[in-house]
Amino acid sequence: MIVFNAFKKILWSNKVMIIIYTLILVLFAGFNSTDDKSQMNFSATKPDILIINHDKDGDISKSLIEYIGNNSNLVDLENDDKKIADALFFREINYAIFIPSSFSEDFENGKNPKIEIKSSKDYNSSLAELILKNYLSTASIYRKEFKGQELVDIIEKTLSNSIEIGMTNKLDTKKLSELADYYNFANYSLLAGCVFVICMILTSFKNANIEKRTIVSSINYKKFNRQLLLSNALFAFSLWLIYIILSIILIGKSMLTVHGLLFAINSLIFSMCTLTIAFLIANAIKNKEAINGIVNVVALGSSFLSGTFVPTEYLPDGVLKIARILPSYYYIDNNNLIKSLEKFDFKNLYPLIMNTVIIIAFALIFMAITNFLSKKNRKKARL
Amino acid sequence: MGNILEIINLTKEYKGIKAVDGLSFEVKEGEILGLLGPNGSGKSTTINCILSLLTYQKGIIKIFGEDMEPNSYDIKEKIGVVFQDVAVFDELTVEENIDYFCGLYISNKDTRKRYVDEAIELVNLKEFKKFHPKQLSGGLLRRLNIACGIAHKPKLIFLDEPTVAVDPQSRNSILDGIKRLNKDGATIIYTTHYMEEVEILCNRIIILDKGKILASGTSAELKALANIEEKVTVEVESFSKNQLAEIRKFTTVEEAEYKDNNLTVIYKKGKNNLDKLLDFLKKENVHYNSIFAERPTLNDVFLELTGKDLRD
Repeated sequence: MIVFNAFKKILWSNKVMIIIYTLILVLFAGFNSTDDKSQMNFSATKPDILIINHDKDGDISKSLIEYIGNNSNLVDLENDDKKIADALFFREINYAIFIPSSFSEDFENGKNPKIEIKSSKDYNSSLAELILKNYLSTASIYRKEFKGQELVDIIEKTLSNSIEIGMTNKLDTKKLSELADYYNFANYSLLAGCVFVICMILTSFKNANIEKRTIVSSINYKKFNRQLLLSNALFAFSLWLIYIILSIILIGKSMLTVHGLLFAINSLIFSMCTLTIAFLIANAIKNKEAINGIVNVVALGSSFLSGTFVPTEYLPDGVLKIARILPSYYYIDNNNLIKSLEKFDFKNLYPLIMNTVIIIAFALIFMAITNFLSKKNRKKARL
Repeated sequence: MGNILEIINLTKEYKGIKAVDGLSFEVKEGEILGLLGPNGSGKSTTINCILSLLTYQKGIIKIFGEDMEPNSYDIKEKIGVVFQDVAVFDELTVEENIDYFCGLYISNKDTRKRYVDEAIELVNLKEFKKFHPKQLSGGLLRRLNIACGIAHKPKLIFLDEPTVAVDPQSRNSILDGIKRLNKDGATIIYTTHYMEEVEILCNRIIILDKGKILASGTSAELKALANIEEKVTVEVESFSKNQLAEIRKFTTVEEAEYKDNNLTVIYKKGKNNLDKLLDFLKKENVHYNSIFAERPTLNDVFLELTGKDLRD
């Protein structure tokens, strides 16, 4: 307990830095939640379409117009070439469809009546073209088997089914994006917070003169090291817990879902990995003055490379290749995978598990190097 | 009284150079043993070997009758160490530092509280107990360093040059504290290159140089080894070479020199040396401003044994 008590007091003397790193995270989460995440949602974009129908009584043409009307904004305009050309130029319409007379009859009879189109040749006109092609290709499948109203019914049923499939996605993508961004940024706060504080504390305990005093005392040195390790682990765990609670407060109930649980597990494993990074650095450095610089290099460096500040999809391949040698890369990759995870089966979870295994492997390697350095230093000191 | 510490033929080499060369000595219960020697004489290396902080090539180290090893926690429990360099936490207060280092030995909270208070009182840091080390002067810091090493009431205390770079007030306080510890039953091994300190404190002194024992004994026994009786210094405005030659002819004079208005005469064994010198000055009509006589110091003993000064 004596080691733990001293650890607590030294930790308390470093409280300002912990608060600063936590505040940075809170501020980031605050700004991020006010950011517009609409690009992440599938809000329907409807093109403006003009239909000139010369097949007034045809069932297929009526059905086609109804389908297009459901998926676009139908614009009423006079059948005048000049006016239509102007409307296309000024983007009042994106697409003009000219249905020829006897279109329905010819289509049912297996012919391919030509539908004339005019396009603004932009993104919305492509959407309009897709809507038209979607209807015609579906209708083409059934026209040999079905005729008249039956054909119309089966086309409409098929098209409405396909829409239903698209709507089954119940993921709150906005909240999940916020969570992923929060935990991606936590990469920096956890790394900087853990490395800074643990290095400050360990350089105090591992100061050559203080260590000499510990070694000559009656406390078992292995027991002492175990107490120190546990105190550090408890600190890393507490910091993680604070960040989890903050995420619930800032982002809300989304954390209380399976996605939230996965974010929490991923960040917990990463916290333990940062603990081993901190041990390694604390073993390698001798003075406290160097800690600030090292924290900046390690935390900021790996955060930039791994996609904490800039999403990985915007980072060049070369940068991402370098990032692969950092545990942060796999932690952030996991956050991005969790964000878009829809089914929790083995196939979907496999990349997540593999990344986690890699993070744990990193932690084990860091521990092994720390042990090696520590033993080497102790042996050297006794010679 | 039995031996608390026994060192037999201790040898420690660094890259072929012997830092400690076949050292053998023992420390009896209740003693204050002084290890005196210049920097690099092997004092700290000897202490570090005894405490298993350093490996050594040859020798036997027994503390409380048992072999001392890195895992001898039962022995370590009864040992207190004050290292030359201050070893405290900057983040903890004076009281918290002492409590922490005492806590490495004493787990009972109440006992520890009492011991910490006593240690604070011993080194006179009561009014500074809520201070952080960075707020303390060099002398106060040294006192804190001592309190951290002895708060758990050890039976055997190693003090490795605890008064280096300390102001006179703190030095006196430290030396008084050490005497009190000894009076309370602690056996003390005190290393220093300040001969005055060992003379004040130690029952027995070992003079070390180049890792070897040059001489050992009480202060008086060691001084008896010196071939001189006393040193007389007279402040005179002028003194001729002939007069100096006359003084050198005195039978008990070992050496005489005149430098910077000071006539220094070193006498071998003999009586009434000062009388004879004063008679001579009167006869020669030499006026003097001041005169003082010194008995041989441990430095003189060291000088005699090695041909060099303790502080070289």
